[in-house]
Amino acid sequence: MNFLPGPAQTTAICLSVALPLLLLCYARIAAIGGAGRRFRLGCLSVIALFVITCIAIPGPRNLDDLVSGLFLLATAMMLCYVLFSLLAWGFTLTLLTALVQAGRPLTSEQWAAAYMQGGDLGTFAHNRLKLLIGSGMVTTADDKLAPTARGLAVAHLVKLVRFSTGLG
Amino acid sequence: MSFAIGLIAAVVFTLLAPAMQFIARVQGWSLAPVILLAIAAVVSHLLGVLLGVLTLPQFRYWDAASIFGFGVMGYVFAFGAVYKSVSLDILLGLVDRPGRKAPLSDVVERQVPALFQGRTKILIDGGLVEQVGSRFAATEAGQIMAKRIGRLRHAFGIGDTGLYDFPD
Repeated sequence: MNFLPGPAQTTAICLSVALPLLLLCYARIAAIGGAGRRFRLGCLSVIALFVITCIAIPGPRNLDDLVSGLFLLATAMMLCYVLFSLLAWGFTLTLLTALVQAGRPLTSEQWAAAYMQGGDLGTFAHNRLKLLIGSGMVTTADDKLAPTARGLAVAHLVKLVRFSTGLG
Repeated sequence: MSFAIGLIAAVVFTLLAPAMQFIARVQGWSLAPVILLAIAAVVSHLLGVLLGVLTLPQFRYWDAASIFGFGVMGYVFAFGAVYKSVSLDILLGLVDRPGRKAPLSDVVERQVPALFQGRTKILIDGGLVEQVGSRFAATEAGQIMAKRIGRLRHAFGIGDTGLYDFPD
């Protein structure tokens, strides 16, 4: 068994480790506002660095090595995104942190208000609906919500993924 | 050929992971779905490496690991996207209604609070929150986890509202 990574694979492994560190650095730059924007910038940065390094590495190029390096980098970006999105937009985690920040036992209504930092669950609902409407999956007319053709397709896909991943 | 071994291991994972979720549900195992995914990934990866070592004299570990990692993370990414997503739950709620339409007020005042209650139950079942009468309080384990999340959010410059940041 050959356990030694090729040059592009080594670059991808190093950049995979560097991605969270880069996100930590970008968090210190006030001009890059928004968690989503910072993450996209982090991914673009490591992709650019990967391309530059692959061009700069001396010697013949090996296609297997390059393709494998790209897969490794994509894997790291997806893993980072799963963890980052949980931190940034995780509903359940934010409920827990809101309860702890309140510093005292709360009723269900107080907890919802603490979660929304003075707002209510309506604000949260509108935020999530904005995502569905903005991505063209849901439309509103006469204060009624309805799924678009794209929304229907996504809903069927979600059901298929839930079934095929054993979530029922 | 090492890529093919990685692909075979990824296919084994996509069969093993839902089978384990299904068995866990039927048998009433208390293991979290994410833990089952991790076990399935480790088992299928070890099987892939074993297959590679036994069948290929020049088995290249990182070639196989890259395609395996990409396949597994693609699966986990899809799993994470449909598993307990508030936006998709709202969309599925709309699609499953007769006439596929719902008043905005119904989603805001009924569906989202129901999702809120579902998440509080998850926190209680996970031992992170306890209910005393009509009030909720974080347990010691919940407080420790909330502090860890808070530190990570602070380091990555993530706010603690859990809301999506849309450019207005």
